[in-house]
Amino acid sequence: MSKANHHPRRETLADYAAGRLDEARAVVVATHLAMCEQCACEVAELEALGGHLLETAEPVPMAIDALETVLARADATANIVLPASLTVDRFANEAPERRLPLSEYLNGSIDDVKWRPVAPGIAQHVIEAEGYRRGVLRLLKIAPGTRMLEHSHRGEELTLILRGAYKDEIGEFSVGDLADLDGEHTHQPEAFGDEPCICLIATSAPLEFKTMLGKIAQPFVRL
Amino acid sequence: MTAPDGNSAPAGQAPTMEDCLARIAESGDRRAFSEIFAYFAPRVKGFLMKGGASPEEAEDLAQDVMVKVLKKAKLFDSSKASAATWIFAIARNARIDAVRRASKPDLDANEPMLTPEEAPRADFLCELKERNARIGIALAKLPAEQLDVMKLHFYEDEPHSSIAERLGLPLGTVKSRLRLAFEKIRKELEEDA
Ligand SMILES: [Zn+2]
Repeated sequence: MSKANHHPRRETLADYAAGRLDEARAVVVATHLAMCEQCACEVAELEALGGHLLETAEPVPMAIDALETVLARADATANIVLPASLTVDRFANEAPERRLPLSEYLNGSIDDVKWRPVAPGIAQHVIEAEGYRRGVLRLLKIAPGTRMLEHSHRGEELTLILRGAYKDEIGEFSVGDLADLDGEHTHQPEAFGDEPCICLIATSAPLEFKTMLGKIAQPFVRL
Repeated sequence: MTAPDGNSAPAGQAPTMEDCLARIAESGDRRAFSEIFAYFAPRVKGFLMKGGASPEEAEDLAQDVMVKVLKKAKLFDSSKASAATWIFAIARNARIDAVRRASKPDLDANEPMLTPEEAPRADFLCELKERNARIGIALAKLPAEQLDVMKLHFYEDEPHSSIAERLGLPLGTVKSRLRLAFEKIRKELEEDA
């Protein structure tokens, strides 16, 4: 596990730990956590905070038969296999990359992704992630040497590097690094190195043409 | 700085609950479960109601949470989390799933259900057991206005802007109180760590 140099902001981790992120951003953060022990520990601490606050929540009496109901329900489902989401080591025998939370959304590896060209040197793959709070999730593949248009971010945007690298005004981003940008940043990323840069990008709002991809792809495709 | 070891009040309750979870995991001990239930179910319900759930929704969800606690006790590892932390994570995920079901009634059982993991990964190195007690101490030291915002951050899933509106505070104030609270807790953890 290479050590990441760029991490989510603490606010983002705190939102994740409290279950407040939209699904798209949660996928990106969860994938980073699988690659970054430092942030995984910080989230564990935030969850511990949640645990203490649960204990301070004012108790509200349960229904009189609640305990019996719960025991009966547990018995009734005793032989039912837990849904995949409840088993932690589902991907234990898989290659590390397939064990990332993202794998569930890709139905496999990044190597099997069907890319759609959107601009010279740039291809994308949109992933559905609108399960519990609307967000937009996509993979972007940028050929080395390809430079994006300068752009700022409207709303919040998380970008996680899965392969290759890019550099911009903030610094160099390589595998495991996460750029957590808000509307105040302007940047012009350029992919570099020997292999295409593959990033996982989540935007909290439905696509607007001021986002990175919109601005790049707008002249070329209808999104 | 107060002694971080297990003799402080916040940690006093936890070992009992952790022992109960261990007994449930080992033998499905129903008595241990009823102790867990008596302590946590009403708190989970209260937690969910504070987050805006109706009493009926909160009752149903709290029951779901307790079924999961019973069935997943084997995944609990007391060296990685306290019982309260683990049950908090289950309650949080149950709420996320409930929102998801409500927004997607035709949800396919095979669709990915991405919720944060409830059981920390095995390769996890941070020493949480000791830190957990310190987090409790740090929390107890927070000024009321920061603690209140912190509670709302964890109890509710409404955007911070709605919380600000309800409290009659500018969004920036809510955010800065939260940031200060998180910083204080971090500092407490970093001191003589
Ligand atoms: Zn990190």
